[in-house]
Amino acid sequence: MRDDIHERALQLVDKRQVEGLTAGEHNGLEAHLESCAQCQKRALETERALHALRSAVPRFDVTLVLTTQMRARIRARELIENAARMRALWISCTLSWVLGVVSAPLLWRGFEWIGHRWAVSRAEWMTGFALSWVAPAVVAAAVIACRQARGSSVTEPR
Amino acid sequence: MGLATCWFMNTVEQEAGEVARGLRRRDPSLLDHLIQQYQYRLFRYLLMLTGSREQAEDLFQETWIRVLEKGHQYKQRWKFEVWLFTIARHLAIDFMRRRQPQSLDALLQPTGADRPLELADTASSSAFDQAFQGEEAASVATALRHLPPSYREVLTLRFHEDMELEEIARVVDSPLSTVKSRLYRGLAMLREWLKDIYA
Repeated sequence: MRDDIHERALQLVDKRQVEGLTAGEHNGLEAHLESCAQCQKRALETERALHALRSAVPRFDVTLVLTTQMRARIRARELIENAARMRALWISCTLSWVLGVVSAPLLWRGFEWIGHRWAVSRAEWMTGFALSWVAPAVVAAAVIACRQARGSSVTEPR
Repeated sequence: MGLATCWFMNTVEQEAGEVARGLRRRDPSLLDHLIQQYQYRLFRYLLMLTGSREQAEDLFQETWIRVLEKGHQYKQRWKFEVWLFTIARHLAIDFMRRRQPQSLDALLQPTGADRPLELADTASSSAFDQAFQGEEAASVATALRHLPPSYREVLTLRFHEDMELEEIARVVDSPLSTVKSRLYRGLAMLREWLKDIYA
């Protein structure tokens, strides 16, 4: 029998395990293996190697599962608590923004009155108004950013 | 599609849906159950990838913490084990990068002189001897010690996990052709080593 037939059979022996064979390839290989002891030996070696690989069971320390479950529970609680805190923060931010928008005309008049009362320039009292209006949002954004930065550093693996 | 296949697919999808919802809720009892269910499989994969029992144990814990943190990203249409092994692999690579900074190409190079994916010095240590049990464990341990980690990885995904080649390609983030060539080479090396041992 020609070498290339054996070569092809050996390729199919591996392909059977790695990718699977078509019906035609399977029948051709089986027919060849019945008549060729050398290729049959190779097929047997392949099956034995894979059987050995599959039958090797890693030793497993059960305390690893318990430790992992405990760590996961603690982390889950942290994440849930953190999410609740963040939700409260977002709600208060939204409320604060809505109140800010609603009270803006009053605040504007208030700053305008103070500007006239103490003879402050228009640019100055307008700057004061702008700062007082954005200050809560800036503080809230800073708090959220700090919390998120702290949260992401905790999630970094060792 | 047959009725049985249809029923099986629906069941698998339902389970994946429950896992996805549970992970979004960060349900601790679901996570307990998943850790129990995948303990051996994940540990074996990490052991094959790292070649070190200690590192596999560390990464095992970190993987589950990461699953908890990134649980909201899990999609029902994904097979859970594919997603789990992908997370484990990314963590292992991050871990190795921190230990010996180099390019991702170098980390994934299967035949590099210094075996970059190898965390432990498996050429001299008996990481696999200590880790495996069973009749042929010693022979397999010897064979595995001599296989590049990237070959060990695809061999375990294919022949332990019975993953499809496309799923393996997704886990190892490599083209299908690369996965196949690693599998063929790994299988040939494994056979050669076990043949010598049995002889």
